[in-house]
Amino acid sequence: MDFLVNWLANVPGFAVPFALAALGLIVCEKSGVLNLGAEGYMLAGAMAGAGAMLSLDVHPLVALGIAALFSALLSLLFALLVITLRVNQVISGLVIVFFAQGLTALIATSQGWTNRSFSGLGELNFGPLSTLPVVGRIFFQQDIVVYLTVLVFAVTVHVLRATHVGMRLRAVGENPEAADAAGIPVGLYRLGAVVVGCMLIGLAGGYLTVAVSKIWVDGMSGGRGWIAIALVIFARWQPWSALAGAVIFGCIEALIPRMAAIGLQLPQYFVLMLPYVVTLGVMVWTSLSASRHSGQPGALGQPFVREERR
Amino acid sequence: MAEIAVPKAAARRGFFGRFNLEVRGHMPIAQQVLVVSAGILLGLLLSALLLIASGVKPSGLANEFIVAIFSSKRNVAAVLSYAAPLTIVGLAATLAFKARFWNIGIEGQIIFGAIGATLVANSDFGPASMRIVTMALAAMVAGMLWIALPLFLKIRLQVNEIISTLLMNYIAFNFLLHLLYGSWKDPQSAFPNSKLFDDVERLMPVGWQNLNLSVPIAIVLVLCVAWLLGMSRYGFLLNFVYSNARMARAMGVRIAGLTVLFALASGALSGFGGFMISTGIESRLTQSFFIGYGFSGILIAFLARNNPFAVAFFAILIAVLMVAGQSLQVFYQIPFAMVQLIQAIIVICVAASEFFIHYRIRMVG
Amino acid sequence: MNAMTGHMRDTARLGLGASDAPPALSLAGVSKTFGDFAALSGVDFDLRAGEIHALLGENGAGKSTLMNIVAGIYTPDSGTVSLHGQPVVIQGPSDAQQMGVGMVHQHYKLVKPFTGLENILLSHPQGSFRAARERILVLTKEAVDRIGFDVDLNKPVEHMSVSEQQRIEILKVLVAGAKVIILDEPTAVLTDTESARLFEAMHNLAREGHPIVLVTHKLSEALNHADRITVMRGGKVVRTVLPSEVGEAELTELIVGSTIGSRGYKGCTPGAPVLKLRAIERHDSRGGALRNLTFDVRAGEIYGIAGVGGNGQNALVEVITGLGTADAGNIWLQGYGDVTNRPSEQMRRCGIACIPSDRQSDALAGELRIADNYAIGGVIKGLYGSVLKVDRRRIEADTREAIRRFEVMGVRSAHQKAGLLSGGNAQKLVIAREFSGEPTLILAHSPSRGLDVRASSAIHDHLRAARDRGAGVILISEDLDEVLMLADRIGVMNRGSIVAEFEVPADRQAIGKAMVGHG
Repeated sequence: MDFLVNWLANVPGFAVPFALAALGLIVCEKSGVLNLGAEGYMLAGAMAGAGAMLSLDVHPLVALGIAALFSALLSLLFALLVITLRVNQVISGLVIVFFAQGLTALIATSQGWTNRSFSGLGELNFGPLSTLPVVGRIFFQQDIVVYLTVLVFAVTVHVLRATHVGMRLRAVGENPEAADAAGIPVGLYRLGAVVVGCMLIGLAGGYLTVAVSKIWVDGMSGGRGWIAIALVIFARWQPWSALAGAVIFGCIEALIPRMAAIGLQLPQYFVLMLPYVVTLGVMVWTSLSASRHSGQPGALGQPFVREERR
Repeated sequence: MAEIAVPKAAARRGFFGRFNLEVRGHMPIAQQVLVVSAGILLGLLLSALLLIASGVKPSGLANEFIVAIFSSKRNVAAVLSYAAPLTIVGLAATLAFKARFWNIGIEGQIIFGAIGATLVANSDFGPASMRIVTMALAAMVAGMLWIALPLFLKIRLQVNEIISTLLMNYIAFNFLLHLLYGSWKDPQSAFPNSKLFDDVERLMPVGWQNLNLSVPIAIVLVLCVAWLLGMSRYGFLLNFVYSNARMARAMGVRIAGLTVLFALASGALSGFGGFMISTGIESRLTQSFFIGYGFSGILIAFLARNNPFAVAFFAILIAVLMVAGQSLQVFYQIPFAMVQLIQAIIVICVAASEFFIHYRIRMVG
Repeated sequence: MNAMTGHMRDTARLGLGASDAPPALSLAGVSKTFGDFAALSGVDFDLRAGEIHALLGENGAGKSTLMNIVAGIYTPDSGTVSLHGQPVVIQGPSDAQQMGVGMVHQHYKLVKPFTGLENILLSHPQGSFRAARERILVLTKEAVDRIGFDVDLNKPVEHMSVSEQQRIEILKVLVAGAKVIILDEPTAVLTDTESARLFEAMHNLAREGHPIVLVTHKLSEALNHADRITVMRGGKVVRTVLPSEVGEAELTELIVGSTIGSRGYKGCTPGAPVLKLRAIERHDSRGGALRNLTFDVRAGEIYGIAGVGGNGQNALVEVITGLGTADAGNIWLQGYGDVTNRPSEQMRRCGIACIPSDRQSDALAGELRIADNYAIGGVIKGLYGSVLKVDRRRIEADTREAIRRFEVMGVRSAHQKAGLLSGGNAQKLVIAREFSGEPTLILAHSPSRGLDVRASSAIHDHLRAARDRGAGVILISEDLDEVLMLADRIGVMNRGSIVAEFEVPADRQAIGKAMVGHG
């Protein structure tokens, strides 16, 4: 029982980065921009968050904001490549990851942020609720971002489904020619989606350092960005399904330290492989159960050039 | 009426009045080379500015990148010894990309290639005189094994290979750590390294500086890949798979077969690259021997536009960067990550310059 | 087209104020070049209130380019556009919309997963989402009632038939408040019945005060439904005429410049069957389903397959060429026996050649050299060199010979990219390649789609020559005129099977009935 409560109480903290990153990817990709740079934006956010905590000594929530902003800044480079210059989106996404890996390692090393721990975001206190047995630990001893994440999901789903902006964004991602004909500024919508999406991914990265590890190490996102990309495919670009998937991955990640804590003797590095192996498994499962509708936006990955002469 | 292929056009409204964005039908090769060269130069210029901003004196820049490298035989040899494995991983990426298989898992295949070679070395398998050949073969088989699963998943289940090969990198890395912190750890070393290879387990020196066979091998492989892509029937058919897979299928090209062939070759080359790095440069398995190679291989293939000779050229360029990066690290305390950043900047600039190959901007009114 | 000739034009409408009121749309001296190619040079055109004005011409005559300028998609290099007598500068599609110009393009601009209503709503983001939705629903229903459309607004577009999608496009234009409506080849994808209903709606619209430009290359449409006809050729206006003034022959001459002598029907001498399809079944896939599909093709005949697109034509091509598999039934090929579900490479070895409907994506690799595109079939068969070395010299010699024989124009060297060829010449290159192996069975799917008259007739000549050489030819076409002109025997394909066969000369009416029947 103790094991179970300890485990489940840790799940939200591990699930939040996956959830926010997946949501950011969905926003971005709904506009038709394939974003393989998630790992890079997470690194950027994580580094910026840690840097803000260490050098600016700001409130953790401000540090998270800085994480999102830094990631958004990086996304402008990506937007320049794929929206303005119409560079291949796969190459652009990959090169952003490499760029971010180099940039974050460079900045963090030269600023001396590497391997320095700090006190990050704490848990909220709901008074008596937090001390309830079982339920209190799992639901009422989490940091504020956990609760905000659910709110962000709800808002995003509403915007995508039932507002002009959301509908037009989806139209841009499904059929940019049709959207253009309807007077929608395709490039602007894509830019907006990329920036907002990457802010969310950067926030996910910032959460990793500011709330979870409370320390920066080079390359610390450890493939979570790639897992988030797989999650989006698994969720067929549906935000709520992506949240569910994030929780599943949160469970797996939370299990790893728990198993060591209860003295289970397993080969350490095989345990660390677990998230990647599970992701592979999830991808196989997704393609095996693929129905007609993959949910993939119709124009995903295709640059838009207005009205080519036939 | 005369049928003339016309450039595709798009009227757009821009910030400065009106301009047309036209899709170019074709640009002469010489002009394309010029545009890409301009992109590379811009990338180098931006990188130079970045280095100056991080405290390198402009005079020092010229010194580190040009004088220091090309005035000493030792440094030229160092560049070549890095360029050889870089060329090989660049070729590996090229083979996969030509088959439209995004092999982002080169790093994992490098790791497994090196593990395969080390397995042979550790177990002293086979006659000593054939040891090095056995190690190379084992590395290629291990590299192929590591690409086989994503390849199978792609062909049978259409699982996106970008993500699956990438995940395989993380799995391979953890497996490497498992070995290096476990049964393969050299008891005489404080670090998680395997024990040093014996002499028969290292590549033969060629007798100039400390260079070994890696450079001639890389040259031979460049020629082999150039023949495979440029002259063989497989290469001829692969061009169609690359440029229009639907059409190739309709013409009766066995796409899956070609993809398997070239992807496996890519895995084998990556594995071979891992063998070359571990035996040729480090002479043992370490937990960081592969760092930077997988990613450079992909970028080199992109810069070289899948041309094997251009792969060799860009491999040397990147090797110069790596050697210069090491001395910058020593003399200016600039983190080695700078090398990766510079590569990314160059690729971004080249990618951006391709815009001018595909499109033409025409002012109207 | 007899069904439509009975439709009387509302000629009285024409007289109304046409003389003194300024034209709804007028173009003066409009020119447009793409690179070195003059798509339009000094075009004048005017559209009067209340008229249906046909813009007639061959493919590439400049009709669509001219109307795309009015719709704000292209900017003219020179010339003026006036609406209701006022000169205007149209800076983009939304400008055009605001000025009351609406165009229904040949390729519909609809978001597939969205419903019809959502597609219309997309252009009207004013007010809150919910209120806008209500407002647009009311407006759309009003327009639906006015012109007598039958359409389900809550069905996702991807589940709609082409004619339903077209109705959504027209509604989009109407709800946006268009005064001038441009329809670009609206009947290209419709059945005869659907076309008739569309013209009815067009007449209603014109009567409601929406003048219409009907862009078409079909003579009968212009003659039967337009109030005036403007003929374009080579980027210029040839003449504007009243349908009552001209006959078909005269109009044809205006369109193509000189009358093309209609080829006399030359009978064929069919031999034994080369291909037998027996009870082929295929479950629904992207190419459509096949149900109990049975027919024979004999050596030395052109077997025409008429039918509305989407009735299994693509599936048929896939099954015969080995790109797709049949779930039941078998395919028999002369000399090879049962070849059901053999892969495409083997089917090609058995002497099957294919001219696919979409040459850009299925027949050519535009990035690669003309020579490579010509030789790929031979290379696969092992004709050019060994596995280790492809014989490029022989490839180039053979390509040059083929280019000469099949009159592929615009080729400076065999090294040129195939993508630089124009439509007609690209098709000739495809035919040169496909015919190079002396195939026994040729599958031609819409071989002249999108080509001008001259290129089409060259393609037709090549098909006839192949037939006369003794090959069996299957001609799949949605253009009934093409099938009637070329085929020696006609099968009608409807919902995945051949529902009727006709010997030529065949009764057009009966074929049309079989094409749309629901028996």
